[in-house]
Amino acid sequence: MSSERGGKVRGPAYVLHTLPWRETSLLVEVLTRDHGRLALMARGARRPRSPVRGLLRAFQPLQLEWFGKAELRTMSQAEWATFQPLLDGQALYCGLYLNELMLRLLARDDPHPGLYDAYAETLMALAAVGGEGVVLRRFELRLLKELGYGLQLTLDADSARPLDPAAWYTFDPEQGPRIAAARSNAVQFSGRALCAMAADDWTEPTTAVQAKALMRHVLAFHLGHQDLHTRKLFREITLP
Amino acid sequence: MRSPSGLEALIDALRCLPGVGPKSAQRMAFYLLQRDRPGADRLARALSHALTAVRHCNGCNNFTEQASCELCLSGDRDGTVLCVVETPADLLMIEQTHAYRGQYYVLMGRLSPLDGVGPETLALDRLVRRALDGVVREVVLATNFTVEGEATAHYIGELLRPRGMKLSRIARGLPVGGELEYTDAGTVAQALVERRSLTG
Repeated sequence: MSSERGGKVRGPAYVLHTLPWRETSLLVEVLTRDHGRLALMARGARRPRSPVRGLLRAFQPLQLEWFGKAELRTMSQAEWATFQPLLDGQALYCGLYLNELMLRLLARDDPHPGLYDAYAETLMALAAVGGEGVVLRRFELRLLKELGYGLQLTLDADSARPLDPAAWYTFDPEQGPRIAAARSNAVQFSGRALCAMAADDWTEPTTAVQAKALMRHVLAFHLGHQDLHTRKLFREITLP
Repeated sequence: MRSPSGLEALIDALRCLPGVGPKSAQRMAFYLLQRDRPGADRLARALSHALTAVRHCNGCNNFTEQASCELCLSGDRDGTVLCVVETPADLLMIEQTHAYRGQYYVLMGRLSPLDGVGPETLALDRLVRRALDGVVREVVLATNFTVEGEATAHYIGELLRPRGMKLSRIARGLPVGGELEYTDAGTVAQALVERRSLTG
């Protein structure tokens, strides 16, 4: 997918976030398919007649070319790769949430081609159906799996026996579900919902509700104390 | 050798300007004190006058020296349409077109979710009060077509829609006089997505 020539690397990428730099440049955080998350300097990208102005936009599939070995590389070219319908309304907020999740959880220079493809599919799904909780949950599960934090959703962490659909469990982000103590204050999840998540079966509406609570619980563990801006900021506009 | 404290304070103060680092601030301070003292005096007076005199208009939130700006007080503007823009520069651009006769609300910024710039940084409660003054019938969202501008437009839409306000978004597509061949792919693609019917 990506190629190298004369010290320059080319490959498919998405912009995750941009920051203005000096008068006319742009600092671009990108997710590349084969080189992971990178920070690129796009010189002159903010000039009024720059050819990449308007192109270096989040959620737009791009072909990028860059060079350099340091943590901050220099972008030498950006081209439109393919059509991705623009995200608007709630789908846009969901997209921003995904980008923030990746900015927070993905290390730089750590390639995850599978995650890149899943991200591309997720953006397409968001554009098609709008902000659907299931679309976000699938991506979150995939992201955790790619990072090596994949959730164990099928066995009781204490007994190593399959989950009882009728029982209620607490969830340890590292170990998995444990039978909830009768008077426990911890957040609890139904065995049925956990099994359905493991099977990627979202037919029961309660599965999505439970999954949202579970992912919040697990992501909070991995994100540490600082909550996500997108979640904090858009509390008034409910994210699915 | 230590610089006089007044000079240091000036250099430090100049650094609050966007894009001005320690070197540029030092250059500016030397220039003002050595080469252009009258200019420095004018700058100091203008700055201190602006700080006390210039405020936000009660109506449109743009800069003004009165309680309400000229544009808001002008009798020949259509008070039933309210156009929401990000910056005073955007307002001036729309005014240059002479195509719009309604009134404005200037946000003085935009939401930037990933930078932690949230709704509390924009005076959105004032916008809501302004839009629901009983005269306004339509709110035109004219924020930029950037990710941040779109997020801002959606947010304002969600604030006003439940209150029964008619909302519209400025159109997007090929520039007037634009040729397909020389237009960027993103714009052409979106122009096709947002094509409008000519029948009926």
